[in-house]
Amino acid sequence: MALSKEELKKAIEEKALTSPKPQLYIKDFYACDPDTKPRDMKNVANEMVREGKLMFWSSGSTTMYAIPSRIKNEEGAGGIGNVE
Amino acid sequence: MAKRETPLLDQLESGPWPSFVTDIKRQAETKPECWDILGILELSYKERITHWKHGGIVGVFGYGGGIVGRYADVPELFPGVEHFHTVRVAQPASKYYTSANLRQLMALWEKYGSGMTNFHGSTGDIILLGTRTENLEPFFWDLTHDMGQDLGGSGSNLRTPANCIGESRCEWSCYDTEDVCHSLTLHYQDEIHRPAFPYKFKFKFSGCPNDCVASIARSDISVIGTWRDAIRIDQAAVKEYVAGNYPANGGAHSGRNWGKFDINKEVIDLCPTECMWMEGAELKIDEKECTRCMHCINVMPRALRPGLDKGASICVGAKAPILDGAQFATLIVPFIKVSKDNDFEELIEFIEKVWDWWMEVGKNRERVGETMQRVGLPTFLSVMGIEPIPQHVKEPRSNPYIFWREEEVEGGFARDIDEFRAKHKA
Repeated sequence: MALSKEELKKAIEEKALTSPKPQLYIKDFYACDPDTKPRDMKNVANEMVREGKLMFWSSGSTTMYAIPSRIKNEEGAGGIGNVE
Repeated sequence: MAKRETPLLDQLESGPWPSFVTDIKRQAETKPECWDILGILELSYKERITHWKHGGIVGVFGYGGGIVGRYADVPELFPGVEHFHTVRVAQPASKYYTSANLRQLMALWEKYGSGMTNFHGSTGDIILLGTRTENLEPFFWDLTHDMGQDLGGSGSNLRTPANCIGESRCEWSCYDTEDVCHSLTLHYQDEIHRPAFPYKFKFKFSGCPNDCVASIARSDISVIGTWRDAIRIDQAAVKEYVAGNYPANGGAHSGRNWGKFDINKEVIDLCPTECMWMEGAELKIDEKECTRCMHCINVMPRALRPGLDKGASICVGAKAPILDGAQFATLIVPFIKVSKDNDFEELIEFIEKVWDWWMEVGKNRERVGETMQRVGLPTFLSVMGIEPIPQHVKEPRSNPYIFWREEEVEGGFARDIDEFRAKHKA
């Protein structure tokens, strides 16, 4: 049975905090709950970005997700999760 | 910011072609940070290595695309390009602009950015080159609130859909490419602005097989206009072409003397399926052999026109060379009707079926064409619920291995091997 949204957010956060690399592909989160459809997983991950729990990292061609405190911000602080 | 000495770049101005170096120098007169763009490039030419870092975490709030973070790794040498982010602005369908809109956009970019642009990027977006992080939100506010324009796609998002000029100016368009492009852009706002996929995803819409947006080479889903019935022939106009009274190709090649128009040499002999011939003064076409290449129609536009039963073919899986080299899209659906009447329901259903499969099966940074190549076309067709047809076969007999499913074999796989061997020695 699929996890509830809050359980899923917790699992995603845990995964993003403990993975060896700070940046994760959306597919890396699929393992958090194999019963959650990819599109629902994307919606939850994007909601977490809006809440400031995750942030986007983009090379321009690929976008990844990361916990704000784990990723180096080129400008020292801030980034899209912290923009007013 | 001081003027930079750029002896290597200066050489690029000496050739016969317009030079971006000259353009940037001119822009540097009002935007001094542009000297640092030339400076950092000169340094890269000298050291033969880039001085841009890879990616970053900039963006505007709520969007996971449209801004590409660019930072210099030698900011102490070139402070003007410490941040030099790229902004992708979605282009209007068919890239029609009013001059007032362009002036407003340029004024906005002079205010918040370097003033440097790239019209257009390969996806089709308006590319605005070079701004600082603190300018992104104010720029985005003015773009969306004052101009009613939006950012385009980047990263693992649906990229800004693109289309040819379609029915707005082209008599050959077999469906309203602008309407589909605009409607699907609105329909898929979430996918354009928030990353959803293993990698980038593009769709492009061409009104006829001339494919003026090169969708077959550049998009993951390529929708190309076509027709099911016969090419319409005006035999009187054919005679005028043969007599030399109408210019071939609408006069497009009239700058040189190519000699008298020869319908055999210029049309019939060049037909890739050899489906045309003359019977007396009449041009005949074996419709079932016609592959809709458009060559004859392009050469004799007053005599030949696409048929009336119009729709589109859908091809899937093109990409530019990053991993396995460039590949064209593969024909998957030979014909569908593209109609606003049902809100492009058939097309949307197809797109989402591809997405649902690719989001599940595609590897990270794998375009849908690469996933198809990895699993094989038969598997892809079976997942999509599409019956194989001869047009799906690239070349007959190039692959001796045909895999049958048990339900496709009479008697299944449980037949008596001894009985079989009695007639067929091993």
